[in-house]
Amino acid sequence: MARFLGYLAKRIVNYIVMIFVATSLTYFLACAFMSPRSNYESRTPRPSQESIEASLDKANLNDKTPVTERYQRWLTNIVTEWNWGLSPAGDSVNNEISSRIGASVKLMLLSTILSIVIGVSLGVYTAQRQYQWQDRFWSGLASVFLVIPTVVLAILIVFFAIEINQQTGQRIFYVTGLSSYDGPNFFIGLIDFLQHILLPTIVLTIISSVGYHLNQRTYLLDEMHADYVRTARAKGLTKKQAIRKHALRASLIPTSVNVAFSIASIFTGAVMTEKIFAIHGMGEYFINCINNNNINGAVAVAAFSGACTLLGALLADLFAAALDPRIKMS
Amino acid sequence: MEEQNNKDEQLTNAQLELQADAAGPGEVKRISYAGLIARRFFRQKSAVVGLTILAILVLLAIFGPFICKYDYTDPDFTAINVAPNARHWFGTDGGGFDLFACVVHGLGRSLVIGLTYAILTTAISAIVGTAIAYARGWGEKIGMWLLDMLLVIPSFLLVAMIVRAASGTQGWIMLILGLTAFGWIGYARTLRTMALSLRERDYVRAAKYMGVPSIKIILRHLIPNLGSILVIDTVLCVISGINSETAYSFLGLGIKAPDTSLGYILSQGSSAMLSAPWIVLIPSVVLIILCVSMQLIGDGLRDAFDPYSRAAGEVADEESKKDEAKKAAAAAAGNAAGSHHE
Repeated sequence: MARFLGYLAKRIVNYIVMIFVATSLTYFLACAFMSPRSNYESRTPRPSQESIEASLDKANLNDKTPVTERYQRWLTNIVTEWNWGLSPAGDSVNNEISSRIGASVKLMLLSTILSIVIGVSLGVYTAQRQYQWQDRFWSGLASVFLVIPTVVLAILIVFFAIEINQQTGQRIFYVTGLSSYDGPNFFIGLIDFLQHILLPTIVLTIISSVGYHLNQRTYLLDEMHADYVRTARAKGLTKKQAIRKHALRASLIPTSVNVAFSIASIFTGAVMTEKIFAIHGMGEYFINCINNNNINGAVAVAAFSGACTLLGALLADLFAAALDPRIKMS
Repeated sequence: MEEQNNKDEQLTNAQLELQADAAGPGEVKRISYAGLIARRFFRQKSAVVGLTILAILVLLAIFGPFICKYDYTDPDFTAINVAPNARHWFGTDGGGFDLFACVVHGLGRSLVIGLTYAILTTAISAIVGTAIAYARGWGEKIGMWLLDMLLVIPSFLLVAMIVRAASGTQGWIMLILGLTAFGWIGYARTLRTMALSLRERDYVRAAKYMGVPSIKIILRHLIPNLGSILVIDTVLCVISGINSETAYSFLGLGIKAPDTSLGYILSQGSSAMLSAPWIVLIPSVVLIILCVSMQLIGDGLRDAFDPYSRAAGEVADEESKKDEAKKAAAAAAGNAAGSHHE
């Protein structure tokens, strides 16, 4: 146990160093490529030079201050007060991010669970029927969905949903936002929420279940041809029993690694889907940061996603260690 | 008696071989490796379909601007938001721009961006990945740490930061550079894993002890031995390049007016989806066809390189074909019996 904790601590320290270096690099990159000054200069009427300088100085975004000095101030604020700075407009990045994580989680949670369940079961189903028509159909469909750009998929789904709405003359599907009902009735609220979340969930589920499906199919096929499955068959197990009791278990180990990364990505949201369905989550915030020259916001999003990715990596290690008897913590 | 027979047979076999050799090399058709792969590739219907579609799309992108009366930059103010008709084959958008001209131009952009990105990314990741594997020891540790560190921040963010600063007409070059700058990292990691077994081969060690410089070993021994994987990766990488271009342009970060691309058309059309659905549907269909054709080619190449796949074909004479049929029938019967038991 002590060795395990030691290993874990070493890993975490390594990850923290990685996030620190990567975030710092992002900060310098963002400072080089984004110019918050242009936000003020393009305003009509153009504010006075002093007020521009004052606003930029207040947000620690003035490009006339040496970048190392700005970096130092930015880092000190984070380390001492956990303050990720201000946007060019003067809003606190901390507040904006914390208010948006909720929307992303609402959006991603359902679709992540659905895509894991659907993807893995389809993978198991098709692997058992390799080269039969079911396998050809589902795997063919999956490889088509695999290559379709997310934008195209989302737009087509929105298009058909609007068509259905028009044909039936009712608003069955909502294509923007997460809710439009503000009343006290819980059930109307729930149905309203479901109407809003249905389409983005379909898009996200299709995109990510395809990966699970194809991976799980490959993993299970690899295991089905392993020697120990043949041994199990030779001892008298039926093919189904041998797969369920032996091959399937082993094939779920690499899948669990993917699941770990998916769990982490729940919090970072989905850029394209949030943009198309006008959901105010982390993905949309990131796009807004880039478009509004919000250096501090963009770097905070980068750091946050980095932390989530590494959390996923840590989870993946733990999952693999728990499931795979061959792995020893060292 | 039997021995005698065998001996006779051996003799005749040997004689046959001698005869075959004497007949000269013209008798045996020699085929280069590339020729072999091409033959296996063209044996697959789906791959040929993919290649044909791609060829048509490439021709359309090259010659489309010449057969279309309109340019993607000059609007036709007499026809604004009209549905596809004889004059405007794909209709026009809200600004009166001919959609056929725009789509053809955007298709060209997508193809150029996808191909350049794929080739650059594969080249960089192959060199870095194998170099890290070949370095061993501390070099490998530091290299892997750097790769992991670069993978921590989603590359989507970093690329978006860089390409957003680009101007309208040069945006696509900036987009290629930005995508390539952060696109190779994941691949390099995969290729390093593949190169781990290659670096242990005898010919690599032999070259090393003969004093061949490391760069030469990497370029001449390690990378060519990853060749098949690299070719497949390049083709599939084109798809991810096209997908990324669409995503960035849709978000208004990649290609911007006055230039146009499929993603940009989509973003323009998505606001007028009800009044002018063709603006959204046509580029979508083109993108899907393009990506699926690349996918078919990639799958075809994978099967062509895989010695165990069915693309290798069967070479059999009449006798063994009958044997095969018998075996297959027996196996099917056995299977049926087996499944009956289950």
